[in-house]
Amino acid sequence: MTTSLSPRTLGIDAAPSAPGPIPFSRLVRVEWAKATDTRAARWLLALVALSTIGMMLVPVLAPTTFDQTYASYLRVAAFGLTILLPVVAILLFTGEWSQRGVFTTFTQEPRRIRVVNAKLAVSLLMGGGAAVFGGVVTAAGLGLASASGRALEANLTAGAVTGYLLFVLINVFAGVALGALLQSSAIAIAACFALPAAFALLGAASKLVADWIDWSTTFNWVLENDWGGHVPQISFSVLFWVAVPLAAGVVRTMRRDVT
Amino acid sequence: MITTTALTKSYNKVPVVRDVSLRCEPGTITGFLGANGAGKSTTLKMIVGLARPDRGTATIDGRPFVELPNPTRMVGTLLDPSAMHPGRSGRATLTIAARLAGVHTRRVEYLLDLVGIADAADKRVGTYSLGMRQRLGVAQALIGEPAALILDEPANGLDPEGIAWMRTLLRDFADRGGTVLLSSHLLHEVQATADHLIVISDGAVVAAGRLDDLLASSTILVRSPDPDALAAALRAARIDYVAGPDDVLAVDASGGRVTTEVVAGVARDHQVLLTELRQSETNGLEQLFFSLTAAKAAPPQEAAA
Repeated sequence: MTTSLSPRTLGIDAAPSAPGPIPFSRLVRVEWAKATDTRAARWLLALVALSTIGMMLVPVLAPTTFDQTYASYLRVAAFGLTILLPVVAILLFTGEWSQRGVFTTFTQEPRRIRVVNAKLAVSLLMGGGAAVFGGVVTAAGLGLASASGRALEANLTAGAVTGYLLFVLINVFAGVALGALLQSSAIAIAACFALPAAFALLGAASKLVADWIDWSTTFNWVLENDWGGHVPQISFSVLFWVAVPLAAGVVRTMRRDVT
Repeated sequence: MITTTALTKSYNKVPVVRDVSLRCEPGTITGFLGANGAGKSTTLKMIVGLARPDRGTATIDGRPFVELPNPTRMVGTLLDPSAMHPGRSGRATLTIAARLAGVHTRRVEYLLDLVGIADAADKRVGTYSLGMRQRLGVAQALIGEPAALILDEPANGLDPEGIAWMRTLLRDFADRGGTVLLSSHLLHEVQATADHLIVISDGAVVAAGRLDDLLASSTILVRSPDPDALAAALRAARIDYVAGPDDVLAVDASGGRVTTEVVAGVARDHQVLLTELRQSETNGLEQLFFSLTAAKAAPPQEAAA
């Protein structure tokens, strides 16, 4: 046996100072690290960036078929971001169960609601960061377009920016809600792509579904800053896609036995 | 100190843990012994708040686990060595645990060295063998300098050298005043490691106490080429026994009435040939475990299987 195997001290001679609760800021920092430190997570974030940049090439390279305005460029960034951003949010919650990290996480902080809150904070930071990144890509796209001598309509209002930010965050938190509720990476990701598509189909058949639930209609109003007369429908959609599943998911996370 | 009171849990109306009460004192290693599926893991999960008991309570130093402000600093747990992100290195896994526990990351290097995986510290956990994951899991359990350890089958996947190392480490931990609760389905493992023992069968505690005391309630092992005749003779003499592997009968010698001489006399009276007759010694725990679990679940003749 080598000397490295013989325990020198296991530290229990020193009377453990009664440690205080884990500060919330520390939980957030650790959750942030867990969300970004694996190869898989970095690939996914890189794909989010790439899809945003890729989408931005459309209005830059196809000026005749695409509105050449600041606001429409920003909307392109939003679409690019939100292809995969909900998946990032899903994995933030389902990864714990699928990779069985809950064994460690919930024994290190058994007040599960604090872990959930930390993950919600990370989701908010990630959504905000993604929105800023989308803004930078938009600026670059606009820069390229104007360098090619195009006239661009500078119609970016505070409302348009707010709508953009809300749209990105709604997408992130819809992913969060699905992840927290379904607690399985594969099922939640499948649902994240299948459910909006299914309701879009239903929306094509039913105006009621289209106006109140169909994500591509209601959340588009948010992105387009088109709130006029749509506030009840948008609110219902947010309840349907975010608030209700998230609340149910939090309850399920609190109660579920780790097996 | 780890204490449970009448922990009870069913899954889908099937009782998994029934009225399990146990008590682990500082300075001791308590072995939690039972066959696979006896309810060991579920009990340990209820102690650390990963599963909710239907009834009963579990406390660490008098407080429920979920009320400990920073549990890692008081209890180290290793319940599933495969419950680690395969995409993270051993060092990254420990660093995350250290940051959350609020201990210096210097401790990560110390523990990587202590558990003998420093050379593989930057490899991804997905490439680790089960034995290496156990070692990493022990390091993670020790990260917060806890005063107690709860380990589920820590010897699984370890080679003989690793098992010896684990024993030394746990003994050292207990000798320094630590409390250890470890589960195992391996009799000799518990016998070599623990000084207190709790035997669980079908979700219920069937024996508990100091290892020495449990072993002292000895048995006599007796073997005959004609085990059925021997069994009939013992029954006729109202001597309790349990059929063991290889036609061995384990005779209950507690109480002092039954001795090897008495058994020999019974065999002579019934003209049964004996090929072995001895006081059970090193296999005492095996007989105990056998008689308490296997025989309880199956008829004597099949219990040897």
